Amino acid sequence: MSISMSFFSPPPPTHLLISFSSKPHFTDKTIFFLRPANPLLLSAPKVSTDNGAGISAAIEEPKAEQKVAEPAGSAPEGEESSLGSNGAVADAGVKLESKFVDPRWIGGTWDLTQFQKDGSTDWDAVIDAEVRRRKWLEGNPESSSNDDPVVFDTSIIPWWAWIKRFHLPEAERLNGRAAMIGFFMAYVVDSLTGVGLVDQMNNFFCKTLLFIAVAGVLLIRKNEDIETLKKLLDETTFYDKQWQATWQDETRSSSTAE
Amino acid sequence: MTSSIAFKSFTGLRHSSAEPPKLHSQLHNISPPNYCQRHLQITAGISSPKLQNRNLRVAVIGGGPAGGAAAETLAKGGIETYLIERKLDNCKPCGGAIPLCMVGEFDLPLDIIDRKVTKMKMISPSNIAVDIGQTLKPHEYIGMVRREVLDSYLRERAASNGANVINGLFLKMDLPKGGKGSETAPYVLHYTEYNGKVGGAGQKKTLEVDAVIGADGANSRVAKSIGAGDYDYAIAFQERIRIPDDKMVYYENLAEMYVGDDVSPDFYGWVFPKCDHVAVGTGTVTHKGDIKKFQLATRNRAKDKILGGKIIRVEAHPIPEHPRPRRLSDRVALVGDAAGYVTKCSGEGIYFAAKSGRMCAEAIVEGSGNGKRMVDESDLRKYLEKWDKTYWPTYKVLDVLQKVFYRSNPAREAFVEMCADEYVQKMTFDSYLYKKVVPGNPLDDLKLAFNTIGSLVRANALRKEMNKLSV
Repeated sequence: MSISMSFFSPPPPTHLLISFSSKPHFTDKTIFFLRPANPLLLSAPKVSTDNGAGISAAIEEPKAEQKVAEPAGSAPEGEESSLGSNGAVADAGVKLESKFVDPRWIGGTWDLTQFQKDGSTDWDAVIDAEVRRRKWLEGNPESSSNDDPVVFDTSIIPWWAWIKRFHLPEAERLNGRAAMIGFFMAYVVDSLTGVGLVDQMNNFFCKTLLFIAVAGVLLIRKNEDIETLKKLLDETTFYDKQWQATWQDETRSSSTAE
Repeated sequence: MTSSIAFKSFTGLRHSSAEPPKLHSQLHNISPPNYCQRHLQITAGISSPKLQNRNLRVAVIGGGPAGGAAAETLAKGGIETYLIERKLDNCKPCGGAIPLCMVGEFDLPLDIIDRKVTKMKMISPSNIAVDIGQTLKPHEYIGMVRREVLDSYLRERAASNGANVINGLFLKMDLPKGGKGSETAPYVLHYTEYNGKVGGAGQKKTLEVDAVIGADGANSRVAKSIGAGDYDYAIAFQERIRIPDDKMVYYENLAEMYVGDDVSPDFYGWVFPKCDHVAVGTGTVTHKGDIKKFQLATRNRAKDKILGGKIIRVEAHPIPEHPRPRRLSDRVALVGDAAGYVTKCSGEGIYFAAKSGRMCAEAIVEGSGNGKRMVDESDLRKYLEKWDKTYWPTYKVLDVLQKVFYRSNPAREAFVEMCADEYVQKMTFDSYLYKKVVPGNPLDDLKLAFNTIGSLVRANALRKEMNKLSV
């Protein structure tokens, strides 16, 4: 730890900035954030004493700060470069230990008072923040600690925020597909058989077609879904088959024995 | 009414052998009416020839929980029992967790249990930690045992009931050739006996028995001899770590489960407290080559809590994922890990091994009329029938849980979120501790289904956003 501290105490922004080849215009913000980042770094006890790892840990922290400071739009690239440097620098077996830090992440959960926009909580920003946290942790798994446990629960975000952000765009897409298919099929059936829309709805065969069309639109959203559905179906019965295997013997043997 | 029938049949049993009365107090999973009805028809059902001048001889290969329990039940049932175990002081690599019902059903003395785990912590990929165990009643716990202690206790009990414990390594078995007389022809077992006098390599010996119970574990040789087929298996890798006393206090009666892609793609990492150290491990089916990487990740996740610990032992073992295609062949039956009776999701095997050993032995005792008649395949099939009927729901539910919740990181996040729910905790512990799948209150079940779907949807939505970030 003492070796790594020597890297941090006289903050060498120029060294670190040169390595930020991808984002030169972050430099002014980096210098600003490097100072407050240091106290947090010094309190992180797990930085490796290996020199190479020490430097890269120092690089990571400012990047963590910078990715939090930037708005969501440009953060993706910041994210990418920090993850890239992790992959490049991390030696086999040496796990870089830098905790996830964010000014809004307090006491193991998101501090909702810092997400205020126009007087009410900006749930989209909460979702974005949590997404970034999970992405960070996927690339840099952290030790779970008893001193600052994570207690965040996604259910504090109200149901309508989820619906507005995730369900509605998808619903719009699927309804659009269903409408296009419906209109086209109604026209084709009418032109082939002369049966109008209202009469089609009274026909059992047409109702079946409608059911299949709706189910298809709901279940098959990407080309890969067909394979996925087939695999899922196999999966549901696979375990049962493994258990039944021993009984297939019985019918054979009992017919020969008795 | 059922209890009076039970009493009648047990007085009947007393004539032929010293059957202790406490068998009928096992309420949990042996259904008394079933057992007793069969007993009453005993003279009518069995068509096998009566054995002259001797009792039925049965060999149990393997002296773990399955073998020990089977040998005890056989010996009590008046059968000439041989228990062949290759290493009497074997310290098996194992999680070591037994459910509460096992203590009662197998009359285990409480000093076998090193620790009573009453709290569990589930930790998600993003380190969201959930404590479960608040719904446990004061007398309920998960027992942590040392396998060498448990195994030798069961073996000694079998020996004191009349089983012959042989310290030997089973090599192969000659099956009776087909054709006339093969129903009574013996199985010839070839084994190497180790005894103090001969020392070293041991002596090659043979033993003739009428039936064999294969309880020799995941790499069962008995299974190979009968062509039982293979199964998929997981590799469980575990390091025993002695941690400083102040850190051990945290694990006094708490076990941890870590889930995440870093820890295992299809299983979980764990920290289980043992007698004076903790066992930190992980497992996988699909990525066995990466097991060391997963173990490092597990240690990393628990780093704060095991800091300063020293690794005292490293061990690995296979865990079957599903039963073998053939668990029975003629008069040879497989039980325990050899049969593949390990549950999915939790990877629990000790209880099921002991229970299946006992059930198989009971079927043999019954089918042979306490050792007086020869058994045949149909008698042993009754054990399979009973086993499948009693435990199929448990296995299936755990399989579904594994498929749904161990699929991906979002699923694991949802899993941990769901564990925070009290109803879930109560259901989970009830079914784990008592090995019964009890349908709960339907309204609560509906709410649970709703919440599960909600959790899964939220976690997957977050995952989609995460993917957008890297693109």
